[in-house]
Amino acid sequence: MTLNFNAELQLKDFSYNAQFEAGNEIVVLFGHSGAGKSLTLQLIAGLLKPTRGRITIGAETVFDSDAGLDLPPQDRSLGYVVQDLALFPHMTVGENIAFGMTGSAQEQRLSDLLDLMGLNNLRDRRPLSLSGGQRQRTALARALARETNLLLLDEPFSALDESLRVELRRELIRLRSELDLSVIFVTHDLREAHLVADRLAVFDEGRLLQFEGREHVFRQPANGRVAELTGVANILRGRVSVVKPGDLTIEAGGTILRVPEPRNWHPAEGDSVEVAIRAERINLRRLDVNEPGKANLVGATIREELAYGATHTLRFTTALGQPIEVEIAARPYEVMGVAKQKSWTLELPPEDLHLMPLSSKSAVEAPRASATTA
Amino acid sequence: MIALRARIPLASAGLLCAIFAVFFVLPFAGLIERGLGEDGAWKAISSDTALDALVLSLWTSTLSLLIAIVAGTPVAYWLSHTRFPGKGVLEALIDLPIVLPPTIAGVALLTAFGRKGLLGGPLDDWFGLTLGFSTAAVIMAQLFVSAPFYVRAARAGFASVDAQFERVAHTLGASRLRAFTQIVLPLSWPSLAAGAALCWARALGELGATLIFAGNLQGETQTMPLAILNTFESAEGLTAAVALAILLLAVALVALAIFWMFSSRARGTA
Repeated sequence: MTLNFNAELQLKDFSYNAQFEAGNEIVVLFGHSGAGKSLTLQLIAGLLKPTRGRITIGAETVFDSDAGLDLPPQDRSLGYVVQDLALFPHMTVGENIAFGMTGSAQEQRLSDLLDLMGLNNLRDRRPLSLSGGQRQRTALARALARETNLLLLDEPFSALDESLRVELRRELIRLRSELDLSVIFVTHDLREAHLVADRLAVFDEGRLLQFEGREHVFRQPANGRVAELTGVANILRGRVSVVKPGDLTIEAGGTILRVPEPRNWHPAEGDSVEVAIRAERINLRRLDVNEPGKANLVGATIREELAYGATHTLRFTTALGQPIEVEIAARPYEVMGVAKQKSWTLELPPEDLHLMPLSSKSAVEAPRASATTA
Repeated sequence: MIALRARIPLASAGLLCAIFAVFFVLPFAGLIERGLGEDGAWKAISSDTALDALVLSLWTSTLSLLIAIVAGTPVAYWLSHTRFPGKGVLEALIDLPIVLPPTIAGVALLTAFGRKGLLGGPLDDWFGLTLGFSTAAVIMAQLFVSAPFYVRAARAGFASVDAQFERVAHTLGASRLRAFTQIVLPLSWPSLAAGAALCWARALGELGATLIFAGNLQGETQTMPLAILNTFESAEGLTAAVALAILLLAVALVALAIFWMFSSRARGTA
């Protein structure tokens, strides 16, 4: 099953434009609220009509502005869990789940789904008497009852506590492989995105900024905005000073940084660039430990500390002239005696530095990751 | 002092409520007292006039309700699901008969469907079809004044159903008709039932428009309210009128009770 999506939508004060495809995988649409994630699901489901574009689900084209084709939602083969769930309040759990069923052996399939979702004892209950987690499982079962290969999930686990989330995510990953499902999963939760995504689509203000394998997006954001959205704490500004194949030298605030050559573009000497590095990728070194040959060492002083229990976030003023944030686990924090020492050397490992073109606001054309389906 | 100050408004509010309640209860008490106390009441109730009027009232008001439901439901659904310029004006027009004095409604119907009316004239000339002063006119008068009650309630009922339910029903493969019958209808059922009850009651009590547009012929256009008016002005006077009034009241109460029983059961199983 492949979903091919290409749609443009012009509203009074919002313009939307995105293009991606999804195979047998979980594609997470990630971004802040109002970025266009839920809108994407509505366009796929036929609840909203694109101004222009073409959408195909498997072999069937469900929307094509050139051909004047626009199948109504009831003729599109997909399961859709909306954010507010919208369980029918006058029907029982069983009736809700069976609502979208077609074909034979419905009773058997209903009891299978009740089993699968752990809803057996709740079959005759009304949605109003259920807990948040039970409602979400009912909504998921109702969507699965359509027996289609495309599942659209809009923040499906938002009302669950952490233990149930973990369980349902595992369930979802299992279902995806067992039922040959394509899942389009909307979330604004970075951790959740990282956990369930095979591929990640980062949305911002109606634009698809990057669509690639999860690790690519997290480690090699297409631009500063993607880096920001995916929780990269440090985006440093600099200028390309030397370009060698596979290896670049960046000058930032009088300090020289070695950075690997980026995959998708070729910076030239003198270009202004941004360098991204995640807070947990930076190593803390004592001033007196001298290791010649180590690249990218930066002198720094702790300006602010935040203790989160399992981790500590340290904010440094640095020789780069730009602040740097470092995340360190509680154990090394104690062993190294960070609490008593203000001045440190920061090591920015070259392999964890990612070079991005400047002008983070402009939407960079998302590279079509063709063979990266995890 | 503080307690006293708080008690005075409370006490006066209670007194007002009591007076208000008495104002509504006393007329019914008067009816019962008169009806039971006088001879001749039973004679009035068992007369042909009363029976004819009762039968006519019941079937015409029920038919009016059915027409209101069949024609009014789609209108109400459409009004609750679309937006267009001038919608407010259209809704006000549909509500107009609710605030219109029934006599004006009667005159208006006459000018439209009467023998010399806008449509009534040509109908009479070309087909020899006369609507005025017939049983059809009774139903038209009832429909005109009562249907807006149903449409109004149904519109509000449909609008109160979260549109998301219908959208989700569509994504689950439901056609518009199935989404309507299985989602919208059960969820708006209380409003529809209340609107239907109001509509039927209004049709049953219709007097002014019927009198002007349909006349007062026993067995043909003389509904219960007309019969009561007639009796009141006749030799038997108040006593007989009271008896008929109690009869109509009792029948209406029984009908409404049966209706609510069925509708609450339907709601329970929907």
